[in-house]
Amino acid sequence: MSYSTFSPSNHDATREPMFFGRSVNVARYDRQKYPIFEKLIEKQLSFFWRPEEVDLTNDRKDFMGMPDHEQHIFLSNLKYQTLLDSVQGRSPNVAFLPVVSLPELETWFETWAFSETIHSRSYTHIIRNIITEPSEVFDTIVTNPEIIKRAETVTRLYDEFIQLVNIHAVHGAGIHRIDGESYDASLYNLKKKLYLTLVSVNVLEAIRFYVSFACSFAFAERALMEGNAKIIKLIARDEALHLTGTQHMLNLMASGADDPDFKQIAVECEEQVYAIFREAAQQEKEWAEYLFSEGSMIGLNARILGDYVEYITNVRMKALGLSEIFPARQNPLPWMNSWLVSDNVQVAPQEAEISSYLVGQIDNDVDTGDFDGFDL
Amino acid sequence: MSGIPRIKVSNYHTFFYQYEFSLLDALEAQNIPAPYNCRGGYCGCCKVRLLEGEVEYVQDSLVDLQADEVLTCCCRPKTHIEVELPED
Repeated sequence: MSYSTFSPSNHDATREPMFFGRSVNVARYDRQKYPIFEKLIEKQLSFFWRPEEVDLTNDRKDFMGMPDHEQHIFLSNLKYQTLLDSVQGRSPNVAFLPVVSLPELETWFETWAFSETIHSRSYTHIIRNIITEPSEVFDTIVTNPEIIKRAETVTRLYDEFIQLVNIHAVHGAGIHRIDGESYDASLYNLKKKLYLTLVSVNVLEAIRFYVSFACSFAFAERALMEGNAKIIKLIARDEALHLTGTQHMLNLMASGADDPDFKQIAVECEEQVYAIFREAAQQEKEWAEYLFSEGSMIGLNARILGDYVEYITNVRMKALGLSEIFPARQNPLPWMNSWLVSDNVQVAPQEAEISSYLVGQIDNDVDTGDFDGFDL
Repeated sequence: MSGIPRIKVSNYHTFFYQYEFSLLDALEAQNIPAPYNCRGGYCGCCKVRLLEGEVEYVQDSLVDLQADEVLTCCCRPKTHIEVELPED
């Protein structure tokens, strides 16, 4: 299976599995094996936004007036999110595009990764606006041991999978010895790595982001850094959509309907899947400790945030048909919901950055009966 | 079925559908604390179990659902229905 950017083969993509079938040839969306990915693309496109739409002049003033430990909380989260979106802006493309076989799924990966680049751009927008020297923030991302510790876990499976796919492309399926190391590039092992990589991506978007989200919204609950919260709200909306994308892929795989191998893989890997969730939750709780190590903020401390991590981990695991690993509890941050809900109050789109305002949503279905109630 | 669909909600009251946009709006009009987040069919927060009856979709539901689950923000009742809200 060597990758071809355009295979002239005349095969019907709807008969291919999601991954490791024949490479996609014509990018056509008139018929789809899984219409859900087409719907996700359309939804994501309707969400399009630009960070520059949000004014951050008040945030600069707010930031200047913050005590040191709150600035630490704010900047650390921003650094971590910058790291996560640096990964997500490129990795789905690098890792999954060479092995995907359905045009709608291929385009979903690209649309998804593109929206992550918008998130990355918005961190630059935020940092540029609140700090005179952005390099002070950017340059310290890769030198912060707390961030690096988690970056390793976030990227390990991606990197291992990409490496195996490369070995497979050059040397073909089988076990290969390269520079004294043995690599199992059999198709089955590749599928296994792919499954686990998707789980870790799911965890990244489902759990890891939410610790930072909670802090941003907690500041905004106190009417601080409201521009930032507006941006984070748009990012949270995108992430919720990406999350359903990976949930669909994982559930389709585990059902075995797409490729029977994955049904077996899902069973074999169950322990590892639980371990990935457990490790992420643990790391995020440690991160919460680090955030508040210099002092907590009104409405939020390491313990409440840790409880929230446990709560959200349970919710995400349930969505994948897994059992909860933490004691069942009510949402410890109920006010988070008001930041995650879409705006349902009617506001003219030009008056506010209303997140439910859809671009290109003109309804052309006019029936002759539609004007029955009108008289001239 | 003819007539106005009746909506029965486990542990809450039963009422007649007032032709709101979605089942979620109908539940809210009755002050039933139905969970929701995105109102756009992608977050999955408004997932309920449909115990009885049929619904029709008013917008695409993008979440992976079991056969007996529906998103209240995406559908409205087609017949008399009975739904069960999640526990928490």
